[in-house]
Amino acid sequence: MTSSGLIGLGLLQAALPRIAQPQVIAVGVAYFTVIIGISIWASRRTKTASDFFVAGHGIGLVALTVASVSTSVSGFAFIGGPGLIYAVGLGAMFIVLPASVTNVMGAWVLAKRMRLLGEARGLMTVPDAIGARYRSRAAQGLSGLAILVGIVGYMATNALAMGVVINAIFGVGLGWGIWLGMSVTLAYSVAGGILAGIYNDVFQGTLMAVASLLVFIFILDVGGGLGHISRTILTTDPKFLAPWGKLTPLAVLSFFFVFAMGSLGQPQGVHKYYMLKDPLQLKWYPLLKTLGLVLVLLLYFSVGVGVKAFVTDGRMPPLSAPDQATPSLLLNITPLLLAALVFSGVAAATMSAVNSFINIGAAVVTHDLPIAFGRRARNELAWGRGATVVIAILAALIAQHSGSMVAFLGIFGWGLFASTLVPALAVGLNWEGATRAGALTSIATGLVVTLSLETASYFKVFTFPAGVTASAVALVLSLLTFFAISWITRSSAAASIDPDVRLIMDM
Amino acid sequence: MIVRTNITKKVARLTITVATCAIAVGYAAAFMRGGTPSWAPWLLAFGIPGALGGIMVLGAARERGGVGALALPFAFVIVTLTVGFCLALGLPSNEGANSTLWLGLPLRAAIVVYGIGLLPVVVLPVAYALTFRTQTLTAEDVERVRQMGRLRVAQAEAEGSRSSNEEAGSL
Repeated sequence: MTSSGLIGLGLLQAALPRIAQPQVIAVGVAYFTVIIGISIWASRRTKTASDFFVAGHGIGLVALTVASVSTSVSGFAFIGGPGLIYAVGLGAMFIVLPASVTNVMGAWVLAKRMRLLGEARGLMTVPDAIGARYRSRAAQGLSGLAILVGIVGYMATNALAMGVVINAIFGVGLGWGIWLGMSVTLAYSVAGGILAGIYNDVFQGTLMAVASLLVFIFILDVGGGLGHISRTILTTDPKFLAPWGKLTPLAVLSFFFVFAMGSLGQPQGVHKYYMLKDPLQLKWYPLLKTLGLVLVLLLYFSVGVGVKAFVTDGRMPPLSAPDQATPSLLLNITPLLLAALVFSGVAAATMSAVNSFINIGAAVVTHDLPIAFGRRARNELAWGRGATVVIAILAALIAQHSGSMVAFLGIFGWGLFASTLVPALAVGLNWEGATRAGALTSIATGLVVTLSLETASYFKVFTFPAGVTASAVALVLSLLTFFAISWITRSSAAASIDPDVRLIMDM
Repeated sequence: MIVRTNITKKVARLTITVATCAIAVGYAAAFMRGGTPSWAPWLLAFGIPGALGGIMVLGAARERGGVGALALPFAFVIVTLTVGFCLALGLPSNEGANSTLWLGLPLRAAIVVYGIGLLPVVVLPVAYALTFRTQTLTAEDVERVRQMGRLRVAQAEAEGSRSSNEEAGSL
């Protein structure tokens, strides 16, 4: 569902047209003013490393839900996703359809146990939970390393995407767009840490939901309802509205598998469970988050299908590239103010993703890796702020100078997180028979298989058959490795669980 | 120490393993010389709901007792996903200008969007909320964990002061 790598690719290919007009700039300036205001407020409340990395375990239910929706969706839902539907038809919906089960699945599998681990031990990161579960600094370090590798790609593609959007709104050029967006995000990330990120996400998520709903209503209204839109498409391209669209069934089902199962390993979503103020508030979290996601994803579906119908009946000119679906609709059909709102929503999506990844990366560098080597930073807050600056600058430099390589870096983020973290974290926290050896081997398998297959595929050493992806293969292999090695080393299983962790796993 | 077995969790783990193997075979079949065989997507159509259902049950089952009242919503979602995928695969592809529309979409598209994409939304999060106290978490659970945390901190402090006393003694 959320693939910031895909966002980057979408925005890279879209090369958004410039919409730098007074109304659009005014909305853009208003947007950045609110961001800065929230950041100043949050920076005054950030005093410890716990405040910086997990908002002091003190975020309320509604704020955390909206922030989580904001981080989950990212700009792919606004640009790349509708473009993908326009290009391949309904099959692209299988990237977002798992949202119907992923939030509640995450709640059952991870939310309670991770939140209680935070309660019992004050844990702050996803590798913290893996380290605590297996009493293993090596597992904590290796999972931290995997996250860091994945974050490089995510950060670079999102930094580039941010530059593209800011250039479209303000007309400042791509390079300045990258640095302007990164500077604003960096400022609030350094000053207010995840606290600033969360409350900015609340604002940004609300903006996305409003923009998505308005666009959905507008398209249904202009298109004469979904039935009329479907009829228009069916007269010329019936395959578009077949369940797999123009893709193969294997490819489409593979989307569902990777984006559903993989959601349990996405650190930007999973580590938010630590932040909820009261664990008992988890009761309403999946319901609220699922409804929020459905609302935000209305745009994904309606723009993809609506633009196809509008191009078919001649109301819109044919697109130069599929990723022009959203920009072209906004510039040709919708009122300018709505277009400005949606573009601000895209900027919001990319900035919230960047902030979240900066924070997670900084936690790995200053917290998880030192622990893996048996050390602990004396002032994690100061080191966290320093690492935030370094990671952000590095990502902006990669985004600006690595050319097409940045797209490659973005591709494997989701799959890497899924294959390295799902078995050890999601299965491991719910199965006492999982062993340290099983966890270490599965994380290593996910890391090696994803990197080697993606690299081989990128450099065209070989081509996957239609429907098979490196992410899917790596996820399946790491799951099977985890079960097999845990079974082989099962005699050591019970010894690798501390009493407090066992209590939490039993609940 | 012996790892305790819980039959619900054991079945869930077995289901995840078998479902993952089915998915693996589906992918492996795509590498066959004649191209992806027609049965390969069916393995995913059964494997995906199995794997997702299995991991949900694994997460929801408490050590003492199974999934309780959640058995029904879990069964509903697994069946919904399986039937949805199978209908999409098995029904004839006859979308055209004269297709009957169901809530604005041709039949197979409606099954996918409304059946797979929306039906679980109506059932699962509501089931989670309604069974939260009996199946997921109570205030007593939270208090037990907090007590365990306090005990752990006290033990760590005691060990710390003991070792610093020993160090002082040895000096």
